Formats: sequence, C-alpha cells, structure tokens
Amino acid sequence: MTEQSIHLRIRRQDRSDSGPYWQDFAIPAHADHNIVSLLMALRENPVTVSGQRVDPVVWEHNCMEEVCGACAMLINGVPRPSCSALVAELDQPIRLEPLPKFPVVRDLLVDRRRIDQGLKQVKAWIKIDGVWDTHEGAPRIGPAEWAANYLYSRCMSCGCCMAACPQFGSHSAFLGPAPLAQARLMNAHPTGRYDKAERLHAIMGDGGLSDCGNAQNCVRVCPKEIPLTTAIGELGRQTTVQMLKDIFGPR
Amino acid sequence: MSASIDNPHFLLRRLHSLLGLLPVGAFLIFHLWENSQSRFGAEHYNEHVVAALKGMNYLPLMEIFVIALPLLFHAGYGLVITAQMRAELARYSYTRNRLYWMQRVSGIGILLFLLMHVGMTRIAGFWDPNVGDDLFAHMQALLSQPWMLGLYLVGLLLSVFHLANGLASMAIVWGLTTSVRAQALFGWVCVLIGLLLAAMGVHGLMGFLS
Repeated sequence: MTEQSIHLRIRRQDRSDSGPYWQDFAIPAHADHNIVSLLMALRENPVTVSGQRVDPVVWEHNCMEEVCGACAMLINGVPRPSCSALVAELDQPIRLEPLPKFPVVRDLLVDRRRIDQGLKQVKAWIKIDGVWDTHEGAPRIGPAEWAANYLYSRCMSCGCCMAACPQFGSHSAFLGPAPLAQARLMNAHPTGRYDKAERLHAIMGDGGLSDCGNAQNCVRVCPKEIPLTTAIGELGRQTTVQMLKDIFGPR
Repeated sequence: MSASIDNPHFLLRRLHSLLGLLPVGAFLIFHLWENSQSRFGAEHYNEHVVAALKGMNYLPLMEIFVIALPLLFHAGYGLVITAQMRAELARYSYTRNRLYWMQRVSGIGILLFLLMHVGMTRIAGFWDPNVGDDLFAHMQALLSQPWMLGLYLVGLLLSVFHLANGLASMAIVWGLTTSVRAQALFGWVCVLIGLLLAAMGVHGLMGFLS
C-alpha cells in the first residue's frame, strides 16, 4: 500500500470558555488508518497545511475495538466512535468535531458526565447486597429473554444517541436514550426487577421518558445497533402499567 | 413514594397525549364527517346537519368541556413541548425525524388556522345570526375566494396529518407498539387513516362549492 496525503479538518478549541476555530492538516499516511490512529500519527508531527507547528490535538481514546465508547466524536457530521471510522471509507477532507450537546473541555475532548448522571438517575445497577438472603443465585432466565437483554448490555456509553437526539441538550433535562435503555435492561434482570418500580418512578419524573419526542435519530446513529426505540416503547408500556398501579393501587 | 403522581410531569404529558385522541381527534373525525354532508346541498346541510346539532340539549356545555377546554390544554402544553425541540433536519434527514419536526410545526399552523376558523364561524355567529342560520351560504361565500379555500385546505391537511402522525407516536408512548416492525406497520395504518380523513375533508370542502 502506498502512502498518500490524508486531508483532515479539525474543529479546535483551546479552553472550555474560548471560541472554536478550524485547522487543516495533510498527513502523509497509509489509507488503512482509522481516525484514532490517524490522530496518533498527527500527534507525532502537528503541523498545519500552512506549515505552522501547533499544539497536538486533544481527544479521548482507549480500547481501539469499539467497546469503551471513549472516542466518539462528530466525523463528517455524523456522531460515531472514531476507532471504527476507517479513513478509506470516509470522504476527504475528513471533518472532525467534538461530540455535540456535551460541553467541550478542549479540542475533541468533551465532558460526558451527563451520561453518568443519567445512569445514576435511573438506578442502572443491580443491588446484590440487601436484606434478603443472597446465598442463592438469581433465578435463571430463558434463552429468548437472554438474547433480547443482551442487545442492551452492549451499550458502551459513547453518547452518540444523545448527541443525535433533538430533545437532549443543555436546554433540557432529558436523560437521553442510553440511560433509558439501561433502565429497560436492569428492569428485565432477575434480581434487578425487584427495583423496577423505583426505576420507573425515576423515569416518570422531570427529564424522564415522557421528554422523548420519538424522532428516533438515536437508533439510527447507535454504533452498537441497540434497539433504543424498542426499549423506549417497552418502557412506555411499563410506565403505563405503573401509572395505573400508582393511581388505583396496589403498588 | 409514588413519584409518578406526586410529580405532575408524567401525568401532564400523558394527559396531553390522551386528549389529542379523545376528545380532540375524535371531534375532528366527527367534524369532517358532518361537513362531508355539504355534498347533499344547502337545504340538507342547514336542516339535517347544522340545525340538528344546534338543537342538542346542553350544547354550550359540551362545546366548552368536550371541545374547547381539551383543545386549549392540548394546544398550550403542545407549545411547551415544541419549545424543547432542537431538530437538525439537514444532519439527520430520517423520515421519523422529519415527522417529529412536522408534528410540532403543524401544531402551530393548526393553532393559527383554528383561531381564524373558529372566529369566522362559531364566534361570528354570536353577533350575526345569519352565519348559523344559513351556514352553507356563509361557507360557500368564504370558500369561493381562492386564497381562503387554500387556507382551509392547508388547515385541513395539517390537522389530518397531526392526528395521523400523533396516533403513530401515541402508540409508542403508551407502549402499544414496541418492536421496529410493529411501529412501522402501525405507521402505515396511520398513513391510511390520514389519507381517508384527508379525502373525506377535501370532499366536504368541495361540497360547499358545488
């Protein structure tokens, strides 16, 4: 494979409170790069097309195999993990921007704490220590239910679904699709379902399920192909039942 | 304990969803069916449709509690929901995203149309009894102006779209349709419902001009 010049346009920002600006780079490299490895190559020699040596570009990356979610950014206008974005399949100049809807820390590094806050809000965990006897393992579940649940367990909290959501952002308290899908997953777990009502009450409050507008962008951009809109429909059904229980009893 | 009833957020949004179908959507269907009878001529329309309705007992109460108040709540809370929208249609040009945007934009359009429509018929009837006594002639005079006919066509189609698309998203919200397949199938059912209602509505509008 011969080396060629790869044209990158990067939206940069020096501080969280300073304005963004664009820089162009031409990187002599093989076409079999992904965006993370290309940014690593750029870091070795961060010189713009006009010959100016600049600060290396800041971005997050970790696993390089699309399971950690750290490297999500806007690539040619689409939110996606950069490790699985192959240079050979992208139109040049390749435009890199920080993941939208999340506050920029520097360059392509964003503060994704809102994902964690959402997961906390919906109690996206299983309580294994409790007042009941935990010596016996959780009841087993059938293979069909296991297969359906597995789809949601692939979520890596990359935030692409939230970046694409027209209801999510600094203007609203909406949790976003990823934490909602985790509520769906934990509600289906044999031990997790003991806290189902608590989780449903959490998503029936401000910023919860009812702030979803069914634009369904989330399911289109999810790199793990998680059926987010099915989770939202299932939670719709669970909250309908929960609402009837809350109004008419028994809880 | 019961956060869902202590915090009105969820109940208000579900009430907004429910009122959109019952009674507001149901009234739209009834209203289009009634007015499709303009086809049977001025005498039939004025006597068997308009006069029959005007002769109903408790009519003002029904107009207020079954039509006006639910509609006002649906419109008012709909505007609150619309303010949450940050649609990026160019970036995400998917059908559902466009429908999401269109649902909110059509809501504002319908609200403006209804202010005009109710003002020119029901409200105008308060000080001009001729409007109610010969509604057929009143509507014929209005719709004979091409720009007014255009406005009515736009208002009608926006309303029918808003109801049909609202039904599809209502099914997801309440948890009737969950799988991708069910949502797509019911979406097509709603397209069919929308087309039928649009045909009935246009048929009724044209009836005033024949």
